[in-house]
Amino acid sequence: MNSPDESSPEVIQRRALLKRAAWLLGGAVSTPAALAFLQGCSRREETAGTPANLRFLDAAGLALVAAIAEIMIPKTETSGAKDAGVPAFIDSALDALYAKPDQQRFKAGLAEFEAAARASGKPFLDRDAVAQADFVRGSLEAALSADHDPKPFILMTRELALLGYFTSKVGITENMEYVPVPTAFHGCVPLSKMNKPVYWE
Amino acid sequence: MDTNSFDAIVVGTGMSGGWAAKELTEKGLKTLVLDRGRMVRHGEYPTATKDPWDLPYGNRITQETRRRKPIWSRTNYPTPANEHWFVEDAENPYVEEQPFDWLRGWHVGGRSLMWARQSYRFGPLDFGANAKEGVAIPWPVSYEEIAPWYDYAETFAGISGSVEGLPQLPDGKFLPPMDLNCVEIDFQKRLAEKLDRKLIIGRCANLTAPLTHKESPQRGTCQYRNMCIRGCPFGGYFSSVSATLPSAERTGNMTLLPDKIVYELIYDNDKGKATGVRVLDAHTGAQTDYFAKVIFMCASAIGSAFIMMNSVSTRFPNGFGNDSGELGHNIMDHNKPGGSNASVEGYLDVAYTGRRANGFYIPRYRNVGKDKRDYLRGFGYQGRASRAGVGRFNDSALMGAELKKAFTEPGPWNIGMTAFAEILPYHENHARLDRSKKDKYGLPMLVLNAVVRDNERRMEVDMRNDAAEMLEAAGYKDIRVSSDSYNVGNSIHEMGTARMGADPKKSVLNKYNQVHACKNVFVTDGSFMVSSGCQNPSLTYMAFTARAANHAVEELKKGNL
Repeated sequence: MNSPDESSPEVIQRRALLKRAAWLLGGAVSTPAALAFLQGCSRREETAGTPANLRFLDAAGLALVAAIAEIMIPKTETSGAKDAGVPAFIDSALDALYAKPDQQRFKAGLAEFEAAARASGKPFLDRDAVAQADFVRGSLEAALSADHDPKPFILMTRELALLGYFTSKVGITENMEYVPVPTAFHGCVPLSKMNKPVYWE
Repeated sequence: MDTNSFDAIVVGTGMSGGWAAKELTEKGLKTLVLDRGRMVRHGEYPTATKDPWDLPYGNRITQETRRRKPIWSRTNYPTPANEHWFVEDAENPYVEEQPFDWLRGWHVGGRSLMWARQSYRFGPLDFGANAKEGVAIPWPVSYEEIAPWYDYAETFAGISGSVEGLPQLPDGKFLPPMDLNCVEIDFQKRLAEKLDRKLIIGRCANLTAPLTHKESPQRGTCQYRNMCIRGCPFGGYFSSVSATLPSAERTGNMTLLPDKIVYELIYDNDKGKATGVRVLDAHTGAQTDYFAKVIFMCASAIGSAFIMMNSVSTRFPNGFGNDSGELGHNIMDHNKPGGSNASVEGYLDVAYTGRRANGFYIPRYRNVGKDKRDYLRGFGYQGRASRAGVGRFNDSALMGAELKKAFTEPGPWNIGMTAFAEILPYHENHARLDRSKKDKYGLPMLVLNAVVRDNERRMEVDMRNDAAEMLEAAGYKDIRVSSDSYNVGNSIHEMGTARMGADPKKSVLNKYNQVHACKNVFVTDGSFMVSSGCQNPSLTYMAFTARAANHAVEELKKGNL
């Protein structure tokens, strides 16, 4: 068996994680539970979202979800969904966070979304940007005007895109004033004294 | 003295155990402190400085975690950021004859690491209620007796709050109060004008200013990160790990052993005393006995009751100190069946900075003064007003550049509050052991059976309606009444399993938390509570533990133990 390529992204990632773990162990943790926590940890960099390490979606599904997420949260003067790693986040979150029925609803909805695009003329990804955006908007509006509990595919995608984006470094720090250690609480401050909305979550 | 013998043993290191360890060691007792869980030292908080992007899955718990921790997962508490503080439920089962959310923190520091830090005194109304209404048994301690110990506990721990002069919620030794935000101030004014009800900032164990003493140099002030539940590297809030255990450590009198499961008290028939505790090593299962003159049980209301029920002898065939038949009974918690929330118009040009680890509090007003209801006791509300975050875009069709522009505007104001209500002590609400089943350590299976009953159900009507009525009186819109399903234990305030009382036939402990029938054993966690009040109870455990430790040392000196 060949030894693993020391410069492969996977090895580098693992090394980075171990380094991080060692740092934590040195100053902080030394318990099985904390180790389990680390092992269970899926940092954004680990799930780069390349087809090789997809966990839930196939490559075609990922491409579709990535396109939808980017239409909802496009790159403007701040990063878009893709820059923030949202597609890979959605893939891993669908795999890890959702129970079977929700996963199945997502998969079925994804297939229906594409089937509807084809039925109305063209595969979704073959459409131009304006037509894609119109299709996504139409899908959102239809979902919102009907009973949407449990959430259908398009609203699951949206919720995950927002969650992934606003737990990413670029999503938070480029759109909001993120202060890790605020040091004080001021209960009533004029917005005129704030540059950006403050990250409160 | 052999290596397994000490002056004192403290079982548990949570809120009460930390205090027992500090007080006993500071008074010169060589003290063995045992915890069934792993070691945690101040600063050993693995997620405390993680940014949102460093936490897995957007800080949502996985299906795999849900399988491992089914009890914890069904509550509102779980996130990966605090997962390491909650016990592996599936590996450590108990029998729920009625649904019971027993949320366990098995590590040094216990649940003092994850507590909500709300710190309220019980007042004369609470200590007098059982006697006045003929419920259960009277408290053997008056507010006046415990008040100096509240002073003492507050001063050491550092409790922030406002002085209000409310008879039902006595003031304490406070650090400066945190700010209410603009909308909470608006609500406060309207409640006072329209309904003559009081809203105050929560009283919490977060340092809004330096402590007034020099005993905790490792603690700094609150940094307003609102991540307390992860453990605070700044020592901004009180926990055993940040405050009491470091004090105990500095005396040189503490031997702290983690991973030691105390499963039995050793009773010596000839001496008429407990001589020590039996312990299993959590990893190896090795059994060891430790001995001491005085033993403090601080393993939580259910944990201490478990050990005592499992300690049978010819003298105590029904469990340690259980001549009354009350051991394991009278489990209380705080009923939390919902509240109300609303949208607030206006105030769009103001917000707040910093993340306040606290909310507002509406102290009990039902059955206070001239108010008379068709139920006993009452409830308080805990809540907050805030500007909506990005979650408001989940169910919206806004997208593209328009959506991104909307991100840069803070959302509208919302306000919400949840009621916490007193649960009466019922003998029927109980814990017991099923010796026909064993846990993975070979110890008997715990059975829990507790429900809310008629008085609590009647109170729930007011709890929901009053919340909506207050929000309506304030002029807020889209008022929604929330009805949450509540299992006993969900407020993580379980108490009452070894109540104190003047009559040994009706109680397990005397007024100093001593087992009536075995005076060198003290039980100072929530077990001793005779009624639950509607206030968060930790501060009361601190005060009673400090008082009990003082009494223990005085009695030792007199040769009475």
